[in-house]
Amino acid sequence: MSGCAGVQSVLDPAGRDAERVYNLFWIMLVGGALIWTLVLGTAIAATLGLFKNASSRTANVLIVGGGVVFPTIVLAALLVFGLGLLPSWRADPDRLKIYVHGEQWWWRVAYEVPDGDTRIISANEIHMPTGQPVEFVLTSADVIHSFWIPSLGGKLDMIPGRTTRLLLEAQKAGIYRGVCAEYCGTSHAHMAFAAVVHEPDAFAAWLDARAGPAEKISGAGSELFMSSGCAACHWITGFAERGSVGPDLTHVGSRRTIGAGIMENTKGNLERWITDPEHIKPGAQMPDYRPLPEEDIAAIARFLSELE
Amino acid sequence: MANTGTEQLSADQNDPKIRAAQEARLEKAWATPRGWRYWSAVNNTEIGFRYTMTAFGFMLFAGVLGLLIRTQLAVPENDFLSAELYNQVFTLHGTAMMFLFAVPIFEAVAILILPALLGTRDLPFPRLSAFGYWCFLIGGVFVCGSIFFNAAPSGGWFMYPPLTTEQGGLGADIWLLGLSFIEVASIAAAVELIVGVLKCRPPGMHINLTPLYGWYVLIVGGMILFAFPPLIAGDFLLELERAFDWPFFDPDRGGDPLLWQHLFWIFGHPEVYIIFLPSIALLAMIVPTFAGRPIAGYSWIVLSALGTGFISFGLWVHHMFATGLPSISIGFFSAASEAVAIPTGIQIFVFIATLMLGKVTRSVPMLFALGSLAIFVAGGLTGVMVAVAPFDFQAHDSYFIVAHLHYTLFGGMLFPLVAGIYYYYPLVTGYMLSRRLGVWAFWLMFAGFNICFLPMHLTGMLGMPRRVFTYSSDLGWNELNLISTVGAFIFAAGFLVFVFDGLRPKSHRDKAKRNPWNAGTSEWVLEIPPKPWGARSIPHIESRYPVWDSENFTKRYDEGRFYLPDAEEGRRETLITSVLDAKPVQCLRVGGPTWITLIAAAALAGVFIFATYHWWTATAVSGALALAAIIYWAWTGTAEHPEKDEKNIGMGLKAPLYVSGPRATGWWAMFITMTGDLTAFMGLVFGYFFFWTVHEQFPPPDIDGPGWVWPLIAGFLLCGAWTLTYGARIWNGRGDVILFRLALLGGVLLSVMGIGALAAGPWSFGMVPTEHSYPAIVWALVLWTGAHAAAGIVMQLYCLARSFAGKLTPKYDADIWNVTLYWHFMGFTAPVTALIMGGFPLVA
Amino acid sequence: MSDNVEKEVEHETGEGTDLWRVILAPVIWAVHFLVCYIAAAVYCEKAGRMADLLPAQLIVGAATLAALGGIAFIFHSLWKVRGVSTVNDNYNYAGSTPEERHRFLSHVALMLCVLSSVAIVYAALPAVFLDICR
Repeated sequence: MSGCAGVQSVLDPAGRDAERVYNLFWIMLVGGALIWTLVLGTAIAATLGLFKNASSRTANVLIVGGGVVFPTIVLAALLVFGLGLLPSWRADPDRLKIYVHGEQWWWRVAYEVPDGDTRIISANEIHMPTGQPVEFVLTSADVIHSFWIPSLGGKLDMIPGRTTRLLLEAQKAGIYRGVCAEYCGTSHAHMAFAAVVHEPDAFAAWLDARAGPAEKISGAGSELFMSSGCAACHWITGFAERGSVGPDLTHVGSRRTIGAGIMENTKGNLERWITDPEHIKPGAQMPDYRPLPEEDIAAIARFLSELE
Repeated sequence: MANTGTEQLSADQNDPKIRAAQEARLEKAWATPRGWRYWSAVNNTEIGFRYTMTAFGFMLFAGVLGLLIRTQLAVPENDFLSAELYNQVFTLHGTAMMFLFAVPIFEAVAILILPALLGTRDLPFPRLSAFGYWCFLIGGVFVCGSIFFNAAPSGGWFMYPPLTTEQGGLGADIWLLGLSFIEVASIAAAVELIVGVLKCRPPGMHINLTPLYGWYVLIVGGMILFAFPPLIAGDFLLELERAFDWPFFDPDRGGDPLLWQHLFWIFGHPEVYIIFLPSIALLAMIVPTFAGRPIAGYSWIVLSALGTGFISFGLWVHHMFATGLPSISIGFFSAASEAVAIPTGIQIFVFIATLMLGKVTRSVPMLFALGSLAIFVAGGLTGVMVAVAPFDFQAHDSYFIVAHLHYTLFGGMLFPLVAGIYYYYPLVTGYMLSRRLGVWAFWLMFAGFNICFLPMHLTGMLGMPRRVFTYSSDLGWNELNLISTVGAFIFAAGFLVFVFDGLRPKSHRDKAKRNPWNAGTSEWVLEIPPKPWGARSIPHIESRYPVWDSENFTKRYDEGRFYLPDAEEGRRETLITSVLDAKPVQCLRVGGPTWITLIAAAALAGVFIFATYHWWTATAVSGALALAAIIYWAWTGTAEHPEKDEKNIGMGLKAPLYVSGPRATGWWAMFITMTGDLTAFMGLVFGYFFFWTVHEQFPPPDIDGPGWVWPLIAGFLLCGAWTLTYGARIWNGRGDVILFRLALLGGVLLSVMGIGALAAGPWSFGMVPTEHSYPAIVWALVLWTGAHAAAGIVMQLYCLARSFAGKLTPKYDADIWNVTLYWHFMGFTAPVTALIMGGFPLVA
Repeated sequence: MSDNVEKEVEHETGEGTDLWRVILAPVIWAVHFLVCYIAAAVYCEKAGRMADLLPAQLIVGAATLAALGGIAFIFHSLWKVRGVSTVNDNYNYAGSTPEERHRFLSHVALMLCVLSSVAIVYAALPAVFLDICR
C-alpha cells in the first residue's frame, strides 16, 4: 500500500482547491465514521437487549433528535460551507489561459499569455506556474471528455457545443498526472497527461522556449517523416505545417510521456507507437506503420526525440 | 349499504359441509392451470414467482459481468478482456442491474406479496401484470443476449450522447428499444400498485392501518409516473437521432448533449429511490416481527416515505455537478441532496427505536436487516459527502462514487431484499430456508461486499477514474484493486449459497408451520402451504397487527366468517373498497388464465426488435398484430356485463358488480397511465424550452415555421374532437344512443383532420427535421401528439363498435368513460402543442 | 374532541383531511424548487457568467416567501384540527375509526409542512451565499 501520496491523488494536494477539499474530506470522514459508529452501536445494543428500560419517550427523543434535529443542523452547516467553496471567480484578462480541446483519446493544448495575441500550441502535456490562478478553457468536438488533475483541484467536463472554464491554482512545484474522467469511448482508460508545475520564473522560461520551432530539426528521420506521410496529420512548427488532425509534435521530444500520458517518452516507446498505435491504444485513428523497415522507424523516432 | 356490524356471523359458516363446498368452488375458480397451460396463468402468485425468478436470473447474469470486470481489474495492464469487450461488459452490468433487476424485482415482490398483505385475492389487473412480465422477459433477453453477438451497448448504462449518437453498430439501439419494454412494464406496475393499495384494501383497513409496505409501494408507484416518463421522452429523442439523424444532441446543428443528461437524470435519481423504498419497506415489515412489537413510529415512516419520494425529484443535477453549470444551479441541487438525508435517516431511527423498545429474536432475516443498516448508513454518509458539490468535483466519476453507489444499493436494496426473501419464503412456498446456510450466506456476503467495496473509497481518492478497462501499475492502485477482486468473489460465493438454498429440492427442506415467525400483520393468517385463492375469506381489519391483537382473528378467517368466502358463480372475485376508510364499494371480477397477454407482448416485442434492425415492414406487421391483440384483450376481458347488478359479499353486505366512471378501477388505470404519459409529453416540452434557454436565438432566425395558422386550426380541431367525445359520453349516459354514435363519428373525423393540420404547419414551411434541433423538436411534438390522436381515434372507433355490438349501453358505459378520460388529457396536450408550436415563435 | 374536529369529520362519508391535502406542502416545495432553478438557470444563461445574481436572488426571495407563506397557511389550518390518537394518546394513530384516520392524515400533513419548510429554506440558501452567475 502506497499510502495517500501519489501524482494523481486527491489525498496529496498541491493546489488551492485540492487543499481545501482535502481538509473538508477529513472532517467529513471523521464525522461520518463517528456517526456510523454511534448509529450502528445503538442498533446492535438494541438488538442485544441492552436498552431494557427504554420508554417510548426515549424512542421519540432518538427519532426526533437523531433523525430530525441533528441532521437538519449538521446538513445545513455542510451545505453553507460547501457553498463557500463553489466557483465564484470573475474573468480577468491578465490571467494565463490554457486552452484544452479534448479528442478521442488525446488533448490539444494551447497557451495564451495575457499580453500576447499568439497561442503556443502543444499536445498531451500541461505546464503551469505556481502561485497564480490559471484559467483552463475546455472544449471538445467529438464526445464529452472531462479534465481532471486530482492533485490540483476538481474536474470539469468538456462538452461539445459548450466552452467550460476551470480555474486552478497550483501551490507546489512538481509533476502530477491528469486524466480524462468522463467515459469517452474505447480507449478512455488511455487518455491522460502529465501536469508539470514550475516555479513562475522557470515557467516563463519554459514557455519562451516553446514559442518557436525546435532547435534541432534534422537527420534522416526528418526526411522519412515527410516521405512517410506523417505531415498529413502532425504539425511541426517550422518544418511540417500541413495537417493538424493529430497531436502537435513541435516539441514532442521534451514531453515526459507519449500516447497521451500512457507511455514514458523513450525512443523505444516511440518506435513501438509508430509501428502499431492501435495495439497500444485500441481504436486509435493513427494508422500503423508496420510495412516500414525497422531502421526507418528507428530513425523517425530518433528525429522526434530530438525535437525539444 | 347497511353495515350490520362485524360481529354478526352468517349462519351458513357454522356448517363444515358448506365450508368444504365453498373451498371446493374457490379452488376451482382460482386453480392454477396445469401442464403447458401453466404459462397462461395470470394470478399474482404465478406471475410474481416468474417475475422474481426472471429478475434474479438477470441479476446473476449481471453479477457474472461484475466478476468479469473485477477479474480484468485485479491486476494492472491486464488483458483478460479487450477494451471493446470490457466496455460492453460494464455497460451491460449497470444496465442489467438497474433495469432488469433492481426495478423489476421490486415489482415482482410487490406482485407476489401485496395481495397477501392486503388480505385480498389478487391484484386488480392480473392480465396487465402478466403483460408487463412478458414485456420484461422479452426485453431483457434481447438486451442481455446482445453481448453474445458482440453487439451489446457500450456507452455506459447512462448512454451519454454524442458518444452514443456517433457509435456505429446496434448496441445503443438495442439499449434504447430493449429498455422501452421495461418502461412499459414499470408503468403497468405503477398502475397495479397505486390502484391496489388505494382501492383493494380489505374492509376496515382505514388508510392509517395500511401495512407500511403498502404505503411505500403506493408512493413508489406515484414516483414511477414522474420519473420514468422523462426517460421515455429522452429515449424517443435519442432513437430519432440515431435512426433518422434528427439532431437533438448534435451541437453542430443546434442540439445539446446536456438535454439528454437532464432527461436521463430526472429519471435516474428518483430511480434509485424507487429501488430503495420498496426494499426498506420489507424491513418495515420485518423489524416489528422480530422485535415482537408494533413499529415505533408509524406516522414517522409514512412522513419519511412521502418526504423522500418528493425530495428525491430535486436531486438530479447532482449527477451533473461537473458539467460547468452556474454555481447557483449547483447550489440548489446540493441543498436538496442534503435535505433528502433527513427523511431517509428518520426511517433508520424508527427501526432502531422499534428494536430498542422490543425484545429481539435472532433470525436470518434480522441478520440481513442489521447488515443492511450497517451498509446503508455508510452509503448514506458518503452520499452526504458527495452532496457537497466541491467535494464531488473531486469524487465524481472516480471509484469513490462506485463505492458510494454500491453501498447504497446493497445496503438499501439487496440486503433488505434478501432479508425479505428469507422472511416471506415460507408464506409463498410453504417451506423454510435453512437457518444454517442463511448465516453462512450472510457472513460471506457481508464480508465479501465490504472487502470488495470499502477499499474503493480509497482507490477513488487516490485518483482512479471510473469505467477504465485497465490502469497503470505505478499509480498505487494495484493492491487495492486486487483486494476488491477477492472480495467480489467472496461475495459471489455467499450469494451462491443463498441461491442454492432457494433452489434446492423441497425434500431437503423443513416445512413451514403457519405463521412461523409469530408475526402480527394480517398476511400471516394465510394457510401454509398457500392456497391458490390466497385469502380464505377477505378479512375485516381493525388494527395494524390483527394476528397479535385479536385472538379470534385466525379462527374467524379460517371459518370464512369474513367477506367473499365463496365463489358461487365460479368466478375470480375480490373486493374494491373506498380510498380513505376502506368501505366496500364493488365486488370486482378479475381476469383468469389467458394467452392474449403473451401474444400482445410478443407482438409489441416484434415492433421494438424489428425497428432496431430497421426492418420497417416487419415492424408495421407486428404493430398491427399488437394492436389487434390489445383490442381483442380489451373487448373480451374488460367492462363485461354481469349477470346481476349486485352480489352478496358476506357479513350481511351487498356490493355492485359493475362500476363505471371515476370510482371504477379501469378509470383509475387510465388516469394513472395518462399521468405518466403527460409527464413524458412535458419532457418533450422541456426539450423545446431547453433549446430556447441555451441558444441565443431560438427559433433560429434562418428557419421559418410552422406559422400560427395551422397550429391554431389543429388545436381547434383536436379540442373539437375532445368536446365531441365528452359530449358522446353524456349523451350515451342520457340514453341518446344515436347522438352518442354521431358524436363519436364526428370526433373521429375531427381527429383525423386535426392530425393533418398538425403536420401541415411544419410541412407547409418546408421544415426539415434533420437540419436543426428546432424543426426536429417541432416535428417530434407533432409526431407525439399525432400518434396520441391516432390512438384516440382507435379508442373512439372501439367505443363505436362496442355500442353497435350492444356491449356499450347507457347503463354499461365504462368504455366511454375511460376513453373520455383519455381525451381529457388530449384536450390539454393538443392545445399546449399548438400553443408552443404556433405561439411561442411569436413571442420569442 | 373539540367542536372543530367534530365538524371536520363525517363519520360515515369519510371527509376531513385527504391524501391531496397531505401532499400539498411537498408540492409547494416542488413548485418553489422549480421556480428558483428555472429562473436562475435561464437568467444566468441569458445574462452570462459574469452577471450579478441580484435578479435571481429577488425571484428566489419572493418565491421563498410565497412558499413559506403558503405552507404556514396550511399548517395553521391543520393545527386547528390536530389531535392525538383516540386510542393511545400518542402520535401513532392505530385506531380504526374515520376520526382516527382523519387525525393521522392531519398529523402526517403537519409533519410534511415542517419537512417541506426545511427543504425550502435549504433551497433558498444558495441565493443568499452566492453573488455571480459563475
